[in-house]
Amino acid sequence: MAAVPGGRRSGLAAGARFFCTAGRGLEPFLMREVRSRLAATQVEYISGKVFFTTCSDLNMLKKLKSAERLFLLIKKQLPFNVSSVSKGKIFNEMQRLTNDDPESWLNAISIWKNLLELDAKKVKLSQKNANPLKRKVGENDIIAKKLKTERMQEIQEKKECQLEKQIEEETLEQGNFTTKRDKSQEELQNGGAEAVDTHNQNDLTFRVSCRCSGAIAKTFTAQEVGRVIGIALMKQFGWKADLRNPNLEIFIHLSDIYSVVGIPVFRVPLASRAYIKTAGLRSTVAWAMASLAEIKAGAVVLDPMCGLGTILLEAAKEWPDVYYVGADVSDSQLLGACDNLKAAGLKDKIELLKVSVIGQSPKAIEIKTVTNGT
Amino acid sequence: MKLLTHNLLSSHVRGVGPRGFPLRLQATEVRISPVEFNPDFVARMIPKVEWAALLEAADTLHLVEVPKEPIQGYEHDERFLRKMHHVLLEVDVLEGTLQCPESGRLFPISRGIPNMLLSDEETET
Repeated sequence: MAAVPGGRRSGLAAGARFFCTAGRGLEPFLMREVRSRLAATQVEYISGKVFFTTCSDLNMLKKLKSAERLFLLIKKQLPFNVSSVSKGKIFNEMQRLTNDDPESWLNAISIWKNLLELDAKKVKLSQKNANPLKRKVGENDIIAKKLKTERMQEIQEKKECQLEKQIEEETLEQGNFTTKRDKSQEELQNGGAEAVDTHNQNDLTFRVSCRCSGAIAKTFTAQEVGRVIGIALMKQFGWKADLRNPNLEIFIHLSDIYSVVGIPVFRVPLASRAYIKTAGLRSTVAWAMASLAEIKAGAVVLDPMCGLGTILLEAAKEWPDVYYVGADVSDSQLLGACDNLKAAGLKDKIELLKVSVIGQSPKAIEIKTVTNGT
Repeated sequence: MKLLTHNLLSSHVRGVGPRGFPLRLQATEVRISPVEFNPDFVARMIPKVEWAALLEAADTLHLVEVPKEPIQGYEHDERFLRKMHHVLLEVDVLEGTLQCPESGRLFPISRGIPNMLLSDEETET
């Protein structure tokens, strides 16, 4: 990838530890990506999650293409043993997740705040209204949520990333995107940055999202565990629970392999792209396939069964100095692809053809073929 | 359809073989729109261009200032690259036809997308 290793730094000397969820089969791509894009160290893959350490800031983290969601790690430890012990005893053990080592929680939260503050300062500096493409984040999120197969206990949340407001304990209006953004900009301009700095730990509102799999899922429901942990957190740190619009979200996954606790870094999953209007193939898979073609500058790249053009969109975003051509036999797919190209601003980079690749192929020199057609 | 794409297309009507290139271009609607100039990218495309086909197509569209051939040291000649950039990437045929030079078969271009689909009988085995 063309990125400078490490990219912009978050100011954390030692780097912070994160983990990402990844679709099955994409883990090697993700491991490669965090190493090259984020200069990540201590990269481990354990059962559906990739753990890594990096100094990169939110802007670089946002660029990850093969990950589903990104979390700041609070805790990773051995799984709970549910074989012969009573339920009550196990609840006690779960409470130890929060009570045994409050430092690790507070540490992670301060790193999380630092990341957001850095980002908020950049927002203040840029001083521009949200660009039109950002509106699409809302729409895409709806599509992404429908496609997602996560079994988390989540209430439908608002789609935008309310960075500046997370620290204040206000009830947020469910207004439209631009109004909120303007309001936040105002706050920042009025010294909102200071408000962020002087945040009081006790004003934090939170919500616990819990997922159980394996043996533990047979004994406990996600709600039970979520409740136990939630109560323990309230007792330990004095935070208030807010199920609708919390400042802080805590994500817990209890499985046969590990118990993991983290803070989701972005409200919107990484897999939901601002530049894809109508998803065909899942964006992470499309990017991974494009990466396999080893596209170099100056190449001509053909997707002979492009459908809605998802692979070409991912490729064009990552490797821009290339001539992309998409072919399909279906009018409706080509129309959708055309739409997508317009929405992504990539009409100039990607050409479309109505062609059947069976018995017909464009005359071309050095074509690299990427496809997902069946 | 940009002229760079036209430069890559040939007909595969049965029996036509290599004589299916280049396709004869006829345009009823053309749009010229600015595209960000990337000299490095254009320079890399130059070796791939079939010049006779390009000149023929450019002529049909009455384009002016089309270089007749790559000049020495074109990689660093911005004027040359800008002209090529314009011809290859900024001219978009929205409506028209492409004709197979050998069989005469017409392929329509609609909304900028050429339709190269052949029926079963027409397809090469």
